[in-house]
Amino acid sequence: MMSTLAMDAMSSVSLAHYLTTSAILFVIGLIGFLTRRNMIVMFLCTELMFQAAAIAMIAFGRFHLDVSGQVFVIFILTIAAAEAALALGLVVLLYRRRETLSAEAWSELREA
Amino acid sequence: MMHTAMITPASWIVPFISGADDAHGHHGDHAARVIEAATAANNLGWAGLILWLPLLSLVLCGVCAARGVKSKLPAWITVASLAASFFVTVGLYMQYDAPVTIHLFEWFNLNWSGGSFIAPFALYVDRLTLLWMLFVTGLGTLIALYASEYMEHDVGKGYTRFFAGVSVFLFAMSALVMGDNLVMLYLGWEGVGFASYWLIGYYYTKPSAVAAAKKAFIVNRIGDLGLALGLYLIYHAFGTIQYDQLFQMFQDGSAAAITEKGGWSVSAIPFLLMLGAFGKSAQIPLYVWLPDAMEGPTPVSALIHAATMVTAGVYLLIRMFPVMELHSAALPTVAWVGGLTALLAATIGMAQFDIKRIMAYSTVSQLGYMFLGVGVMTTDAAAAHVFTHAFFKAVLFLTCGAIMHGFAGQLDLRKLSGLRHMPGWRIVSYTMGYACLCLVGFPFITSGFFSKDKIMAEAFVTQGPGFVVLGVIALLTALLTAYYTFRVFFRVCMGPKHYEPGDELHGDDPAHFHPHPPRIAINFVLITICLGAFLAIFAVHKFGFLPGGDKGYAWVKASVIGSTGANGVPHGHHGETAFFADPHKWMVLAASTVTIVGMLIAFYFHLANRKAADKLRASMLANPVTAVLPKAMENKWYVDEVYHAIIRAPLWVVGHACAVFDRYVIDGLLVDGTGRCPRFLARLFQPLQNGVLQSYAVSMAGGIGLVVLLVLLMPRLLEALNAVGGTGG
Amino acid sequence: MNCRTVSVAGYGDDSYLCRTSSGVDSEFVRRLIRGPATTKASAWMDPSIPYTACVLGAASLYLLVRPGRPTVKVLAGLVGLTVFVWLATAAAGQLAGRGTWPEPFFLIFSVIAISAAVRMVTHTKPVYSALYFILVVLASAGMFLMLEAEFMAFALIIVYAGAILITYMFVLMLAQQAAEPGSEAEQAEYDRLPREPAAAVVVGFIMLALFTNMIFGPEDSVSQTLEPRYTEAEAATLAWNELDQMSILRDEMVDRYMEGRSPLKAEDNTSIVRVRDDGTAFVTVSPEGGAGATEDIDLPSSAKPVNVQRVGWALIAQFPVSLEVAGIILLMAMFGAVVLARRQIELGEAELHAAAGMSHYSDETDSTESDS
Repeated sequence: MMSTLAMDAMSSVSLAHYLTTSAILFVIGLIGFLTRRNMIVMFLCTELMFQAAAIAMIAFGRFHLDVSGQVFVIFILTIAAAEAALALGLVVLLYRRRETLSAEAWSELREA
Repeated sequence: MMHTAMITPASWIVPFISGADDAHGHHGDHAARVIEAATAANNLGWAGLILWLPLLSLVLCGVCAARGVKSKLPAWITVASLAASFFVTVGLYMQYDAPVTIHLFEWFNLNWSGGSFIAPFALYVDRLTLLWMLFVTGLGTLIALYASEYMEHDVGKGYTRFFAGVSVFLFAMSALVMGDNLVMLYLGWEGVGFASYWLIGYYYTKPSAVAAAKKAFIVNRIGDLGLALGLYLIYHAFGTIQYDQLFQMFQDGSAAAITEKGGWSVSAIPFLLMLGAFGKSAQIPLYVWLPDAMEGPTPVSALIHAATMVTAGVYLLIRMFPVMELHSAALPTVAWVGGLTALLAATIGMAQFDIKRIMAYSTVSQLGYMFLGVGVMTTDAAAAHVFTHAFFKAVLFLTCGAIMHGFAGQLDLRKLSGLRHMPGWRIVSYTMGYACLCLVGFPFITSGFFSKDKIMAEAFVTQGPGFVVLGVIALLTALLTAYYTFRVFFRVCMGPKHYEPGDELHGDDPAHFHPHPPRIAINFVLITICLGAFLAIFAVHKFGFLPGGDKGYAWVKASVIGSTGANGVPHGHHGETAFFADPHKWMVLAASTVTIVGMLIAFYFHLANRKAADKLRASMLANPVTAVLPKAMENKWYVDEVYHAIIRAPLWVVGHACAVFDRYVIDGLLVDGTGRCPRFLARLFQPLQNGVLQSYAVSMAGGIGLVVLLVLLMPRLLEALNAVGGTGG
Repeated sequence: MNCRTVSVAGYGDDSYLCRTSSGVDSEFVRRLIRGPATTKASAWMDPSIPYTACVLGAASLYLLVRPGRPTVKVLAGLVGLTVFVWLATAAAGQLAGRGTWPEPFFLIFSVIAISAAVRMVTHTKPVYSALYFILVVLASAGMFLMLEAEFMAFALIIVYAGAILITYMFVLMLAQQAAEPGSEAEQAEYDRLPREPAAAVVVGFIMLALFTNMIFGPEDSVSQTLEPRYTEAEAATLAWNELDQMSILRDEMVDRYMEGRSPLKAEDNTSIVRVRDDGTAFVTVSPEGGAGATEDIDLPSSAKPVNVQRVGWALIAQFPVSLEVAGIILLMAMFGAVVLARRQIELGEAELHAAAGMSHYSDETDSTESDS
């Protein structure tokens, strides 16, 4: 009989593995957000960070036998969808104004 | 509201009165009189009108100013208010029975555990108050009437401002004299100082007037500081500043106990009060403001700077006489300062040419006499001299004003002569002549004779450090006074007719100048006050038929005896001798002789043989040794210059050093520097605000990292600290 | 220099640290760096392993992010992947003994996800970035499957890869100028050049070091405190209890397996499905024919609710308000997108006033102009 938790079969894959993967994905997304100048790619990077969070959530839920983790991911998906709609609408608007996708084109509020 | 703490000074002078004169038989029913007065006090609220009427006048003048009134209305308002105030004073005098406190309203009423500071807005009325208020309001009314004509050039310009200032002055002077406590006295003290500043600077377009106003104000500040410190020390030592409680302590002996263990802070009180009096009454070393104060309109000089305000110092000393006795050196100091001021001012007055300025120095000199009187323990004579001086000096100033008014500002006695022979100037000449006689103390027919005579006699009689020398100085001053006073009179009023107009021509042609003699208001006032100066004889000499004048005492002396200054009234030392005889007897002769000699010298040099005076002056100036004296006297002994060198110049240097310090250290380094700090810091961090999204994100992520690092490290850090503290320590 | 020898249990002689102690307490520094002297016996991993991995990963990612030669980039990517595999192996070794490899599927999915993510971040063409992100999403979905979140795995593919990423692609197509294929130089400058890669990598990997410290740290780490150790029986009990609460599903199962016999409620509570200590469940049913003793009938393991059922149940039973809020957020986002995407019409002052119904506010110059 296939065990519910599969602790024996999967004993070499722990919560720590998933969390590490999630952390690495998150940091890569963060670095992408910090280095890329294209606004659309920056938003993609935020989506990557969402993705990392989703993996952590589901892993926690799995190892705690709690489906709330998956429910959270559903909400993450919702927010990501809403964000994509709005953010991309904004990006299109900004692109119409300046004919560029560079985030640096919008720095009127600078002090330096 | 029912503040009826009854007056006690009357009770502590009763033993003295009855001891001095057995004719005073009613000391037994004194308590009954006090109780009567207590019930009467509640009905005396109308006495507050003496203060409120000038204040009302001020308000109405303000309304006139706001409405732009271009008539003499402000003058009539002021004259009417002051006259009403005078009649209220007379009414109060008629009602007067015993010293009384009239509570008007609560002012300061601070209570805390272990102490209180109470200064109600209340009037303290005793004989001294009434004496002062009678001549203050009376002369105030008359001089305001005089000013209504004198100031007519300024109708529609400064006229309202002038009378508003006079109203302020009368209010403040009434508060000063009638106040029930030292805080009200201080209110009045500062108020008259302010009014004085207001009116000296009346011609504010004249730089000299502005400078004189500032000088008066600043010099008075020095004295006022002394007065304020004195008040504080009185409160500190005795716990009260209300006259009735304060003098009760002197009466029942509790003040003596305080004085014994008081130390320097109690001993300093009389000297601080003295400083205040010297400032207000123009004594050495603070007299320098008064001659310059003549830049104000002449009625102001007559009212404030001759008759009333400058006597406030004398009033203070007489009122606080028991306090002045707290230190044995205080009264001799007053006497010596007074005597030396009298002499110094007289010597300066001898060499001046501006008649108004001569009168100013004569005022300083006569104030010196008054301080001498207080100092040699004859407060009644000092008060008498204040009283008589108020009249005759007012007349002198008013005649000067009339001359100035008629001769377009001409005040140089070398350019005026024979006024007596000019049509319309007769009254001015004769009143001036009589006032001059009063000033020099011409025997028997002038009031000044009696008051001055008394002071000089007491200087010889009273035991004190060098008081005999002071008496001689006073006699010498009397000689000089006689000389310089009649120098003015003989030069201006007598002799051949001659005049040159002054520089305030108001557009007239100097070639066709005609002096315009005074009209009804000025003449009326001159005659009235002159009459007052004559009638004052009966107030200062022993006739005793005036209401309130006790039998055997002159009216003024009785007034002083009925007040807190009673300790300073000499009594029962008839028969002492100085120079082999009783000075009271031979002083009549000595003073008369000295006066007449002085007048004769003036007659020779300034009427009979005017060329001799010029010749003498020229010969003295020719010799460098003898030239020192007239030059120094003409230049006021260089006192202003000395003050300039030792006080003003160092202060100027310090002030400018402070200004530099302020500009470059306080403003530059501290204020601007503080302001630059945030800007500098902002410059430091400004590059962070580069408007680039990623930079902000880096900061944010770095911040999160730091916070997480801190959270992770904190338990470890605490644990490490604990462990080290446990094992290593 | 007075060197104190501090001997603490578990660390032996630490006197070598005293060599540098010039005023700084060596014990203090040591504890700050390495934690308390008494480490927990269950420490998973020497902390130097994840820290080293972080440093190496940072270096390789830096080389990948900044513009450079392709060979360098390939080498750097290989180094980074090796480091990751080494880290995962080390973690598995700590868990199950030396020489143990982690589950191959996990390794495959995570390597794909991480390399796709790196490529997405580093690729200069945004379209490729989006495509690589789809790869990340697919790999994540694989991991979701491993984690028995089947519904989420497919929802992710459908929603993310199918809808959101396609939206991104559309926008990219809209906004991107047509470029000659293969000519890197014609890429927009803001795509070619990264912004401050060094600072970003340093900050990012400091955060990663902190995460790994939390995961693998010697004490109080997430793994130690949160790693659950459920037995199979406990997990089954939870599932059966959930089934008991899902009344419709429960009734369906009872109908299916109880052959029409009506179930009885337990004496103590209202539950119908009851669980034994070993994790098997049974339903007490009334006696056949209405008389006699009650009978316990076991439920087969397949009667347990599956993942989709449990997620749906959680959504409805536990988070109804959040669900509503999420719906409203989506609605608002839709409105927002519609408003933002509308064509912007430049209006003059007077037209604005007219549009606002305030035509009488237009100032006099305007009216005179319109008159003339």
